Amino acid sequence: MALIEIRDLKKVYNAGEPNEFYALNGISLSVDQGDFLAIMGVSGSGKSTLMNILGCLDHPTSGTYMLDGEDVGKKSSGELAKIRRNKIGFVFQNFNLLPRMQAVKNVELPLIYEGIPPKERRQRAKHMLEVVGLGNRVQHKPSMLSGGEQQRVAIARALVNEPMVILADEPTGNLDSKSGHQVMKILLDLHLQGRTIIVVTHDPTIGEYAGRVIKIIDGTIKD
Amino acid sequence: MFIFLGRTIKFAFQGFTRNIWLSVVTVVILVLTLFSVTIAAGINIIAEKAIESVEQKVDVSVYFEPDISEQEVLNVRYRLEELSQVESVGYISKEEALQRFIDRHQDDPGIIESIEEVGNPLGATLVVKAKSIDDYPTVLSMLESDSYADLIQGKSYDDNQQVINRLSDISSKVQRIGLIVSAVFIIIAILIIFNTIRINIYTHREEIGIMKLVGASNWFVRAPFLVESMLYAVLAVVIAIAVLYPLLGVIAPQVDSFFAGYNFDLVSYIHGYLIEIIAWQLGFAIVLSFISSSFAIGRYLRV
Repeated sequence: MALIEIRDLKKVYNAGEPNEFYALNGISLSVDQGDFLAIMGVSGSGKSTLMNILGCLDHPTSGTYMLDGEDVGKKSSGELAKIRRNKIGFVFQNFNLLPRMQAVKNVELPLIYEGIPPKERRQRAKHMLEVVGLGNRVQHKPSMLSGGEQQRVAIARALVNEPMVILADEPTGNLDSKSGHQVMKILLDLHLQGRTIIVVTHDPTIGEYAGRVIKIIDGTIKD
Repeated sequence: MFIFLGRTIKFAFQGFTRNIWLSVVTVVILVLTLFSVTIAAGINIIAEKAIESVEQKVDVSVYFEPDISEQEVLNVRYRLEELSQVESVGYISKEEALQRFIDRHQDDPGIIESIEEVGNPLGATLVVKAKSIDDYPTVLSMLESDSYADLIQGKSYDDNQQVINRLSDISSKVQRIGLIVSAVFIIIAILIIFNTIRINIYTHREEIGIMKLVGASNWFVRAPFLVESMLYAVLAVVIAIAVLYPLLGVIAPQVDSFFAGYNFDLVSYIHGYLIEIIAWQLGFAIVLSFISSSFAIGRYLRV
């Protein structure tokens, strides 16, 4: 059984209005456990909309989205939050770290919402920072870290809850080529350890890391 | 659960201190709202007590003819006591009435001499107290029936109606003004709390977005803002009590002198209901804060 199964997914903005716009127009896609998938497309192609729906941050207008055998479209907002907390790890272009918090506290966030006791979550967060090579930066705030280091903190946070899938939206978009390569190397290592990675990007070089690449144009998949 | 509570309270305090001046303004407006509502309610209570005290002094004195026997007077007394509108009926015998008359005119030898000459010209008296001021017309109409015409010499009904009417009039005017002022403050307080929470949501928008991304539940995101508004309410009640309570010591002598001779003591009345007053204020402030912050959260924090 596929980990992610989407069928005829559509996302329509301003439905029925003169300015009706199909951000996604009948997308069908299957992702197996352990896949490394790159979704490529230019700006406005619908790839971020697809990413938001895959990450349970947005609802499709129609179609079905099955994640780990569950129909996500029928979930309440509370249940979707739980799915995001337990099954999905996010990595974003702008890192999305809380500037006031140290690296270790940023990584702890998903564990706080899961109700993990302070001692255990601190241990797990520190361990995850070591995994991404930031064992010596645990007390640093985001402003004291380079872009590449901040993105690695974001990866540590995405991994700390042992998610089923990691969704990365332009993970190297704000990084220099060296830092970008480091980040992609970490994602590749995670894939080699058996994790499912989905990267959304417009950069063809990122696609080279992925085992499978799909292109999205005007809300539809072009093989 | 404790982790959730701990973080919610911590975030609520952070929200409070992050926009400290906005929080101060919100608390001040809530304090003013509590002042106006409490003062309006206090004036209402004082007016009610004043009317009650005046009403307690109202009674009907029924003067019987001097030649009416004690038994006949007591028969009337029993009939009056059977009326559901009657609270009590006091009996003053002929002799007692005379003694009271003499006591009242001790300094007037002419009257005393006349009494000694003619004997006791007074009849017995019944003092009727009705359950409510509105029951007196029923009592009076019974006493005016033909069967009592030969027994009763006269009646005195000092209904204090003018005083009661004036008090009611003043009370309803003050109450109306109090209600208008309170309503204005309540509306201002709702808008201010709404706006404060809205600004705090805006200030925290980045944090809220990240919390949502990493799977914070709706309650985890919303609860700190609700608790923050509760914090305004609690602080406002503490300040309102801290200001109003000493103020009570200043106005109590004036109120008590107004009630001189009546059974009302403002300070002991407030002391008797202090816990209820604080609980009432707290409940009112919390409900007000809860309603306006819920609107703001519902409008600007869709998670």
